Amino acid sequence: MMKKIFAIGLIIFFLIGCSDDELSSVSYENPEVALTIPTDFPELNSSVYTNMPTKYGVELGKKLFHEKRLSTDNSISCASCHIQKHAFADTHSQAIGVEGRVGIRNTPPIQNLAFMNFYGWDGSKLRLENQPLVPIITHEEMDSSILEIIYKIEDNQDYRELFQKAYGDQEVTANRIYKSIAQFEYTLTSNNSKYDKIQRNEGEVFTEIEALGYQVFQEKCVSCHSTTLFTDQSFRNIGFPINSDSNEAGRARVTGLENDYMSFRVPSLRNVEYTAPYGSFGQFKTLKEVLDYLDSGVLYAENLDPILKDNNNKISLSEEEKEHLIAFMKTLSDPDFINH
Amino acid sequence: MKLSKKPILLLAISLAFMSCSSDDDMPVANNVDLEFTNTFGSETIVLGDATSAAATVNTSAEGQVHHFSELKYVISNIRLIKEDGTEFPYNVNDLDEGATVVNQAKPETTTYELTNIPTAEYKQIKFGLGVRSDINTLDETRFPEFYASAGANDTEMMWEWGTGYRFTKIEGFYDTDNKQLSIHTGSTVEGQEGSYTQGVDAYRDIILDLPTNAVVGNSAPKINIQADFNHLLSGAANTITLGDGNATPSVHTAANMVQFVDNLGGNAETNTKGMFSIISVQN
Repeated sequence: MMKKIFAIGLIIFFLIGCSDDELSSVSYENPEVALTIPTDFPELNSSVYTNMPTKYGVELGKKLFHEKRLSTDNSISCASCHIQKHAFADTHSQAIGVEGRVGIRNTPPIQNLAFMNFYGWDGSKLRLENQPLVPIITHEEMDSSILEIIYKIEDNQDYRELFQKAYGDQEVTANRIYKSIAQFEYTLTSNNSKYDKIQRNEGEVFTEIEALGYQVFQEKCVSCHSTTLFTDQSFRNIGFPINSDSNEAGRARVTGLENDYMSFRVPSLRNVEYTAPYGSFGQFKTLKEVLDYLDSGVLYAENLDPILKDNNNKISLSEEEKEHLIAFMKTLSDPDFINH
Repeated sequence: MKLSKKPILLLAISLAFMSCSSDDDMPVANNVDLEFTNTFGSETIVLGDATSAAATVNTSAEGQVHHFSELKYVISNIRLIKEDGTEFPYNVNDLDEGATVVNQAKPETTTYELTNIPTAEYKQIKFGLGVRSDINTLDETRFPEFYASAGANDTEMMWEWGTGYRFTKIEGFYDTDNKQLSIHTGSTVEGQEGSYTQGVDAYRDIILDLPTNAVVGNSAPKINIQADFNHLLSGAANTITLGDGNATPSVHTAANMVQFVDNLGGNAETNTKGMFSIISVQN
């Protein structure tokens, strides 16, 4: 009798085991997410085509982006520095990591990354999927490791379900983590500023001051802040105050070229109103300070950008022009992007 | 019954002795020890802080005194070349099993044991100073052991920002007033070999002929390799004077890193020895 009960128990046990397996092999509908590709935006980074955002890939990426267990002491997530209301930048001069450690550079905004060819101030990464590992392992940022993260989240039921939905099984892998975060970031497109609406003839118009600012912009700024991304994605030394951190060499630490010493990627001006302070390590508190500095003269260097060299190491601007420019730059603010 | 066990025991013992004494049975493989001797010229380096009296002080070709407080480098992609020219690759695609960090502060790391090397005579050794770009990705999932040893707090052989390993890390002091020197090298390339889209390839393949063949079989040879850090400033490629412009990372990671790399590891074309040479092969 006892044996029979035991045998039945065993059979039930196996059946449960089986039905569990069936559950985990349920396939979910996981459609690709249609990316917003605004007219006149440049080509997508070719990496996007090898990692097309999907409904659940993006959902998983968003959850990971806000996951504090990505840091060694579970204190910060990507979103701790990349804050949506600041266009996914923050208000510190230099990024603050675990235990209040100070990083070497200013947190860059996360917007329109699907259209960028270089990532980070020095462009060391060319594919967004290769980027998340950097903050994860950097001592002054999350100071963790990918195996530590996998260990922390792989038994979590919510994650298991999301990995299942996004990738067809529950396995939590490094590549899936990187790909999901990139997918989420690929969806962060900003193209609903007042400027965009004017370009699209949606009824809005520049104020007089903004229109004057747009003129100054086209005369004195557009050679670098070009295209609909408002950056030509080049690297330039524009003679800003130098970061004395011994690990800082700008683009040169990537390329090894003397001519790239203390050169940084031209930042986009989109949502610039929300991303103070400015400069590669937050040298300037306000846009006015940036313009004052450019107007009064920058630091000379052998590899100073020719545009500045040819103009007495400065971009001359009257006080009125500065006011107009700032008014124009604020038309690049996209409230939809930071609120939704 | 009691007595019958004894002969079996005796037989077993004699069998055991026989297998021990059978010299004719050549093993199919044995170990090879690589021993790295880090020197300034012929003098083995002693590390020391700024004011250390014990530290080995070197003088460069330009007359600059310098000494080290820290000295580490990565060896990987090891290949042994047989007498007939065929190459035996030693776990060349596996950093856990085929790469090591030589750290002058840890004597146990200056010898690297290669296990299970096929019985043969070897006339040449090749290895990499650094990590080949195709596996230089800080991939903890793939090579957890090497990742852990290179990333340890007392080792710090990683460039987090470049998601690659540091290939050499030298800390120390130069000139009579002991200014800080801090020389780090590593690769920053992106893309595929042969068509890198950006960056510097700091990996160097080293090729050294052995003065006498390393005979693997009954013996487990030891190959003693000298790394002469006099080459750092006074190498075949470049004669370097340290100063504000190149002694610390902010500048040397930029333009000057390659000069140090070429001195330590050769220029990847005409010079494939750099600072390395063979002191001896003990069979």
